[in-house]
Amino acid sequence: MPLSSAAVLAKPVPDAPAAAASAPPGLAVLDDPVELRRFTRFSTTAAGEALADSSLRITGMHCAACAGLIEQAVARVDGVVEATVSAAGERARVHWQPQRARMADIVLAIRAAGYDATPDTALESRETRKLEHRQAVWRLFVASFCAMQVMMMATPSYVATGNELAPDLRQLLNWGSWLLSLPVMVFAAGPFFSGAWRSLRARRIGMDVPVALGVLVTFVASTGATFDPDGVFGHEVYFDSLTMFVSFLLAGRLLETRARHQVAQVLEATLSGMPETALRLDAQGHAEAVSVQRLVPGDRVRVPVGQAFPADGAVIEGATRADEALLTGESAPVAKPLGAAVVAGSVNLGAPVVMRVDRVGDDTRLEGIVALMRDAMSQRPSLARAADRWAAPFLWVVLVLAAGAAAVWSVIDPSRAVWVAVSVLIVTCPCALSLAAPSALLSAASALARRGVLLQRLDALEGLTQVDRIYFDKTGTVTDEHLQWSGLQRLDVPSGLPTLSDAQWLAQAAGLAGWSSHPLSKALVAAAGDGGPAAEASAWRDVQELPGQGLQALDGEGRRWRLGRTSFVGAADGVGAPSSLAGDSRAAVWLGVDGQALVRFDFDEALRPDARTAVDALRQRGLQVVLLSGDRPERAERMGQRLAVDRVIGGATPESKLSEVAAAQAGGLKVAMVGDGINDAPVLARADVSFAMGQGALVARAQADAVVVSSRLGDLVLAHDLAGRTMAVVRQNLWWAAAYNGVCIPLALAGWLPPWAAGLGMASSSLLVIGNSLRLAR
Amino acid sequence: MDILYLLIPLSAVLVLLIVGVFGWALHKGQFDDVEREGSRILENDPAAVDVDQSRPT
Repeated sequence: MPLSSAAVLAKPVPDAPAAAASAPPGLAVLDDPVELRRFTRFSTTAAGEALADSSLRITGMHCAACAGLIEQAVARVDGVVEATVSAAGERARVHWQPQRARMADIVLAIRAAGYDATPDTALESRETRKLEHRQAVWRLFVASFCAMQVMMMATPSYVATGNELAPDLRQLLNWGSWLLSLPVMVFAAGPFFSGAWRSLRARRIGMDVPVALGVLVTFVASTGATFDPDGVFGHEVYFDSLTMFVSFLLAGRLLETRARHQVAQVLEATLSGMPETALRLDAQGHAEAVSVQRLVPGDRVRVPVGQAFPADGAVIEGATRADEALLTGESAPVAKPLGAAVVAGSVNLGAPVVMRVDRVGDDTRLEGIVALMRDAMSQRPSLARAADRWAAPFLWVVLVLAAGAAAVWSVIDPSRAVWVAVSVLIVTCPCALSLAAPSALLSAASALARRGVLLQRLDALEGLTQVDRIYFDKTGTVTDEHLQWSGLQRLDVPSGLPTLSDAQWLAQAAGLAGWSSHPLSKALVAAAGDGGPAAEASAWRDVQELPGQGLQALDGEGRRWRLGRTSFVGAADGVGAPSSLAGDSRAAVWLGVDGQALVRFDFDEALRPDARTAVDALRQRGLQVVLLSGDRPERAERMGQRLAVDRVIGGATPESKLSEVAAAQAGGLKVAMVGDGINDAPVLARADVSFAMGQGALVARAQADAVVVSSRLGDLVLAHDLAGRTMAVVRQNLWWAAAYNGVCIPLALAGWLPPWAAGLGMASSSLLVIGNSLRLAR
Repeated sequence: MDILYLLIPLSAVLVLLIVGVFGWALHKGQFDDVEREGSRILENDPAAVDVDQSRPT
């Protein structure tokens, strides 16, 4: 820690401006109460001192022992009461006294120790997740540990023959089983009962209803048999099948919770960052870094190159270009002369400018799109889950059969009527049925997660198999952030200057570009291919790179060649300036000699390497592929031709994208959407199935059913194929469940089903279904 | 085999006891960060708990 700030901290004046000045401007914002409150909870101790509890996200930790180093570094800051670092979560909790310490100094101390810290605004949701996970583990442990003991107590009655097992000993074992099943029923199986109750109150029947009914009937009948072996329920107990079934279901739930939490964690990791700051100018023109949330209409803000505009407004000093791709899908930078309107979230590319803030917060264009997205979400067609579709008919059939059996047996032999009805309900306990879909979806989701596709909604897999049409966004989805050389144009030049073939020009330029690491230089070198540049590069002397201008060098004959922007190379403004530049390419560089520009090289967006193969593969699978782009129609059209899609829609706004998808859905089509930008978010929310690219806008990723972290489009094809296989496995599982019930129910109806066979059948059908599903995870 | 009449109830009680102990450990957060504990020995010694430990031997 710098000495100056330590000296200031010793004084009990918390708001001394000198302290803030000692921290870098980006960090000083952390002490702004508005920002501080987003990751800090304040409390007052018994002694009346204020105490702050902040949560930080730590980066740069490479082993578990780092946690101790950070704790010590933070604890040395004056005013810090306690610091705890979790190595697994990469989080730090710091308890500190706001009167004596500042957040900026705590972060500085962590930086001095060789790590970095950013505010962790997602504390609340992570705490909730932790409790949820603990509770799920706890339920599973109670259920599975008790199930193991119950099985041990049940074993004697399976293996004993004749009179080996004395009746009173059997009775004792049953009591023991009952006692150990009690926590499973009362506590561990709670979610199923509450789930069944909820769906009954909502007047629909989900899978929880037959599960709860089966579990409850089995437990009641077994309890009756335990305490009154001569009663209506007979003397057979099923505690072992019951507890095992509950633990299987809970294991599935735990895995589902885990998968959901994993996705939430990935999303949060990108969410937490340093607070967004803006350089606000005061009346005297001094710049001050303030939190973006402090901006009000009328403020003047300086926006450096490479930063996002903090609010909607207008340029009032200077002129620049802005990248609005995430907002509009338009890939080429848009010129922003003096007075032009700028949109919050777009990035300043050209030159530093000063803007006037006109609208902030909810009024901005960005928030408008988010509102549109929320609207679209509420209109999203709901996907019926396979298991839930089966639940209601299944339940009715079982209930009718049990009632029918009771009625028939009450005529034949009234003493056995209840027992037969109960045994029908027990053997039909929907073990296999309720495990059929979730187990298959979960193991498919884990297989996809290993490939880099994170599923937020498991149902998306089912939806994916029904999709008829898939919409792709263009910029950022089928293209990546790189540029590639798309062509060259010779300019009209006076005679006497060198003329070369296209390939030679490219080799010439690439030779010079090989000296630079600028993205356009790299694209030129990549276009020229191997061999050429290396040979040419040696011919240049006195190579200089002028940032923002270009490269210059002397060739073997001492002529000065330049590669770079128009003015630098020597073309007068307007001369050779391509009228088609805006329509054809995203960027261009000029090559010239002795102040005379000779050739212009154009660059265009680069397709992702596997985009074409992915589109072909999807079309082979019978899907219509549509390119739905916010970029200019001619540009979208050209990209569509390269991709060989079925249809191209260009120039689409977020609203028209949404109406296009809604129209397709109204026509009875199931649609999938793949996108990355903020402008795609409403459509992602509306589509039946949606994928967001991993590097896309946060709001888009938060809306999508699945996040393609790998950014490989080929993984979509993989996901589609896996979804097909998953649904095949689900169908096999359902068939098995139906076959098992088809054999057992008639036997139970006739009163011939031996209890050991019923228990064995229930266990083996559950195991078979799980084993079948696990094939998908490989 | 009369001992079984004691052992079976005893085993049931023991199981419930073990479940309780595990639940206590889980809710105390002992399983939240299992990686950290293994490397705790590599960290610098914390302040001595009592005088005897801090005295050089």
